[in-house]
Amino acid sequence: MSTTIERDPRLTVAQERFRDDVRSMLAEDRVRRAVDDVAVYRPDQEAAHLDVYRWLGARGWLAPGWPVEYGGLGLGPVESAIVTEEMALAGVPDDVHVLSVDIVGSFLLLEGTEEQRRRHLPAIARGERIATVLFTEPDCGSDLSALTTRAEPDGDGWRLYGSKIFNMKSRFGDVALCAARTTDSGVGMHGITLFLLPLRSAGVHIEPVPSMANDRFDLVVIDGVRVTRADVVGRVDDGWRSINDLLQLERTGIDFHAKARRLLDLVIRRAAQTGRLDDPAYALPLAELDARLTAGRALSWQMVQNLAEARPDPVASAMAKWYVTEQFRPILHTAMEVDGLDGALSAWDADAPGLGRLEAQYRLGPVHRLASGTSEVMLYLIATNGLGLL
Amino acid sequence: MTVTSIAPETVRSDPERTRRRAEELFDPDLSPVLRRLGQRPRGAADAATLHPDDAAARADVADMLVELGFLAAGEAGPAVADLVEVAELIGSALYQSPFLDTVTAADLLAADPRYDALRTEIAAGERTVALAWREDGRGEPHHPAPLRLDAAGRTVTGVRRFVAFAPDVDLLLVVGRAGVEDRLVLIAPDAPGVRLRRQDDIGRGDLYEVTFDAAAVAAPGSGPAGERYPQALARARIRHAAYLAGLASGAIELSAQRLRDRTAFGRPLASMQALAFRLAALAAETTAVLAFAREAAQRADRGADVRLAGAQAAFLAADVARTASAEAVHLHGASGMTEGCDAQVFYRRAAVDASWLGTPTGLRIEAARLLAAGYAAEKRD
Repeated sequence: MSTTIERDPRLTVAQERFRDDVRSMLAEDRVRRAVDDVAVYRPDQEAAHLDVYRWLGARGWLAPGWPVEYGGLGLGPVESAIVTEEMALAGVPDDVHVLSVDIVGSFLLLEGTEEQRRRHLPAIARGERIATVLFTEPDCGSDLSALTTRAEPDGDGWRLYGSKIFNMKSRFGDVALCAARTTDSGVGMHGITLFLLPLRSAGVHIEPVPSMANDRFDLVVIDGVRVTRADVVGRVDDGWRSINDLLQLERTGIDFHAKARRLLDLVIRRAAQTGRLDDPAYALPLAELDARLTAGRALSWQMVQNLAEARPDPVASAMAKWYVTEQFRPILHTAMEVDGLDGALSAWDADAPGLGRLEAQYRLGPVHRLASGTSEVMLYLIATNGLGLL
Repeated sequence: MTVTSIAPETVRSDPERTRRRAEELFDPDLSPVLRRLGQRPRGAADAATLHPDDAAARADVADMLVELGFLAAGEAGPAVADLVEVAELIGSALYQSPFLDTVTAADLLAADPRYDALRTEIAAGERTVALAWREDGRGEPHHPAPLRLDAAGRTVTGVRRFVAFAPDVDLLLVVGRAGVEDRLVLIAPDAPGVRLRRQDDIGRGDLYEVTFDAAAVAAPGSGPAGERYPQALARARIRHAAYLAGLASGAIELSAQRLRDRTAFGRPLASMQALAFRLAALAAETTAVLAFAREAAQRADRGADVRLAGAQAAFLAADVARTASAEAVHLHGASGMTEGCDAQVFYRRAAVDASWLGTPTGLRIEAARLLAAGYAAEKRD
């Protein structure tokens, strides 16, 4: 079936079996029910501590690339990508997975101390602990060199002061990876340090920031929370380098592709059900989008393969992220053509097709070109490091 | 869509090794020379002749492609995964030759064991073949033009246009609809009853109108294109997509160099974000298309049904090749239009190559049909 993910010719037999196992588990009724439940959550509800994470975690599948002693299976980037892809294709909300496993977990694996890893990774891998990311501030987003959250010396540690915004799931989180300025040298990129910040501390105030998407952003105000060297991830003042290194490493496009593919499959199925797939005016753009996602997947998997072979390509990774996320707009626009005004009906309307998923996706749409490095940041990386421009 | 096994065995490939070897031939320093080989004066039509030095250089490269073993392989032919690497480099250099057509011909001829001896000769580089499937420029290879064979199947009458390198190859492989089936017919270009006329095209290359007037069919006679035809065509499209991705990256590299070299308003063009971002986006599109072609090639070598992938990769590649080459002319300013600038060579070649194995619209229609069939099958399941 062309519209679902075929076996990747690069996968080994064991990896294919792993994908089959993960896919089978995610096709179970209990998972499908859980996914449908999320689609029709009340407006004040959002996905966080999902049972699906615990079911995956119980098998070591939430973080299969992590060493066994930290709750993984000791496998590699390919198996991690398989889980990420299958979760997204099954419609399992993945914000918590991306934040806790892919970002915070990866930072701890690469830069964390043994004590930090043992304290946090097993619980994250079991799906029992949520770790979030506190980088963006009211006055700095893509340009983290402008961040102003301060780490003021306090005895053998620091006290953190500042505000972090547009982060996700912090209301439900246990710990966050927080970027703060330890040294004010006048050079923005220098003097940033990453800390593990306990989110349930007296000095941490979290309030939701409503957005047009189902899930709300969080505003986190940090008012004098004390941290020590034991909470530093990596080296003091070296946060800029580690942020850039790791985010580039983790940027394969796999997660974005799978979300786009699930969305496009939904649209094509609607077109098939309604007869519009037989009309070239609708079928041709859909065939084009299908082609673009197939190309995006091939490129994304090449990035995974590069990671597995320890030869990451940050320029091509930026290309993968940019290319895949650029498809969301045309997919959503085509979706609204296929379903007309029915596509505008929300999950809270009884007439909404497909549990109102399309309407929810339309509202979420802009986030993909913003998250994990905006489209413009990706183009900047390609232009500078790839083409020798700018 | 059900995955159909076409080739019973998985074709062995070693794309990285193939690429390393091909890069020795398509060296970046040599590419500017290669892309100018065989250009004819504008408007020269049938009177155009190839400069002997160009002809010799072009033949040398063709010999090297054979010597490097890119045509030779096991029974199933060279691996598509290997050939996409070669094709991409050929596209980047804009090297024109019957090589890719010959590869496709060998694949098509595998439909009938009577052609096995010829395929062996092709693999050894002893025979070259040009494909002849269009009656006119609007023809789409997935719907071959009608073919008039005499009752005994010994002669052909009709016309084929846009046949590349017709006078230079050993054989023409005419593909056409005869009755209710598509057939393959081999004809020597110098056989009695065959008339060639060079077409004066925008690429100023080697395209010919071939008229057959009861032209004799070469041994071993005509054969059915069979079920292999759509898959062989799809494999050709995958290779061609890689060629077009190469063309696009050649144009992008040329443009990037221009931006680094040229100063305007007191600073290098390379420092201007509007221009840099356009090229960056094209580079990303090109890389994605090439990744698509590579993955589709691997699937083809495993015997998968690649009709949809072949059509999709080809139209995406055609789009990016045309856009990147047009952008190359634009970013060179008026000098991009001049005969001395390679940007216009990319631009003119892309106009031809983008529709070589089907117009992008024709390919989209084909892809949409296959996609809808896949979903209809899913509904039935």
